[in-house]
Amino acid sequence: MLLTWIYWAITVLAIVLVVHSLYRERSLREQFVAAMVLVPLLLRALFIK
Amino acid sequence: MFEKRYLASRLTATVLLLAAVVVAAVSARSYLAMRDPAPHVDRVVPHAGFEKHRLSEWFDGLAGTPMDTDVYLQQGAEPGGTVLVLGGTHANEPAGVVAAVVLLERADVQRGRLIVVPFANPMARTHTFPQDAHPQTFRFFTPAGTERVFRYGARTTDPVNEWPNPDIYIHPQSGQTMAGIERSNLNRAHPGLPDGGPTERLAHGFMRLIAEEGVDLAIDLHEASPEYPVVDAIVAHERAMELAAMVTMELEFEGVPIRLEPSPVNLRGLSHREWGDETDVLAILMETCNASAGRFRGKTDEALILDGEDKAYDKAAGLGRLYVPWESYNRRMAERVGRHVTAVRLLADNLEYVRDGKGITIDGLPGYDELSAEGVGAFLAD
Repeated sequence: MLLTWIYWAITVLAIVLVVHSLYRERSLREQFVAAMVLVPLLLRALFIK
Repeated sequence: MFEKRYLASRLTATVLLLAAVVVAAVSARSYLAMRDPAPHVDRVVPHAGFEKHRLSEWFDGLAGTPMDTDVYLQQGAEPGGTVLVLGGTHANEPAGVVAAVVLLERADVQRGRLIVVPFANPMARTHTFPQDAHPQTFRFFTPAGTERVFRYGARTTDPVNEWPNPDIYIHPQSGQTMAGIERSNLNRAHPGLPDGGPTERLAHGFMRLIAEEGVDLAIDLHEASPEYPVVDAIVAHERAMELAAMVTMELEFEGVPIRLEPSPVNLRGLSHREWGDETDVLAILMETCNASAGRFRGKTDEALILDGEDKAYDKAAGLGRLYVPWESYNRRMAERVGRHVTAVRLLADNLEYVRDGKGITIDGLPGYDELSAEGVGAFLAD
């Protein structure tokens, strides 16, 4: 159970950092990359058990 | 145009963020659909005489968990031996699943007992491998036009059920080391552990079933890629080799070329090795040719699963890179299921020659030629 929470916290932290980068980035290409990285992170956050 | 940095703004960031959320939501919905399929998906119609049980009746550690799976038993009028047939150990090897379903829906046991588990690892049926682009289902049509839909899953247990995998998986009984993902592979987890991970516990359930029911012959139905050396093959534990050799010859007489491979003694965790070592059962594993799980494949769709048509494999065959004759008779689902069903019937027929008084007679099964001519749908119930 503790392990699950640790993974969940790491995933949420990664999502926060990527969203932060998405808004900070001034290149559209880099924004696309950030959005694409976000998809599997969101899925992981949804399905961690 | 993407290099023009001024194009990016808070607005584009918000649009892309929303797009990512939408893509994730659509993917999540599609993924969840495999975990909770519609009632007509993976539906089976057992032949009269089959009794439905759950694997947890032999190992209660599986009760109420996603590991538990249906077990069907049919006892013939005359006493004899017991044969266990597993389909779906690997859910991305569909002919094994479909052959077990055909057995379940057509078998009329006259002598002995038949036990069929069509979906051996139910946790492998709820996902497909990321980036493999497999369709989630494939279908057949019966002569009356009824659609029979089955899930195409993955080789291993869903990471939702067993995650994370270690970097290296150490097989508990032998200490043999394997790639970490093999911890989620039912056919590396045998004989299993009562208090191990989900896949190891599932394997333990099958071991208990074999031991407590006194199974004489256990057959694990698989498929392999055309470029893998052990394909169109019977793999037999050393105590089952005499029986497997007889059946190999009979299959050749019936026009079904097949290899006979000994179960390697130093490759642990596999059904044909561990079942045979741990119990008195004659352990057999069957492989047919499945291009949909191969690495050379191109477009991955339902037609590839059912017909094996693929330009990349045609080219690989032309270059001599495959271990099977690349003809239509070898790669269509009908012939792959025909191989499995015919081999199961012959193994059961011949069991009494290696075990006195343990004969098994199963009527009602379609032959290889019938399946080849009429297709799988003709032998599934409405």
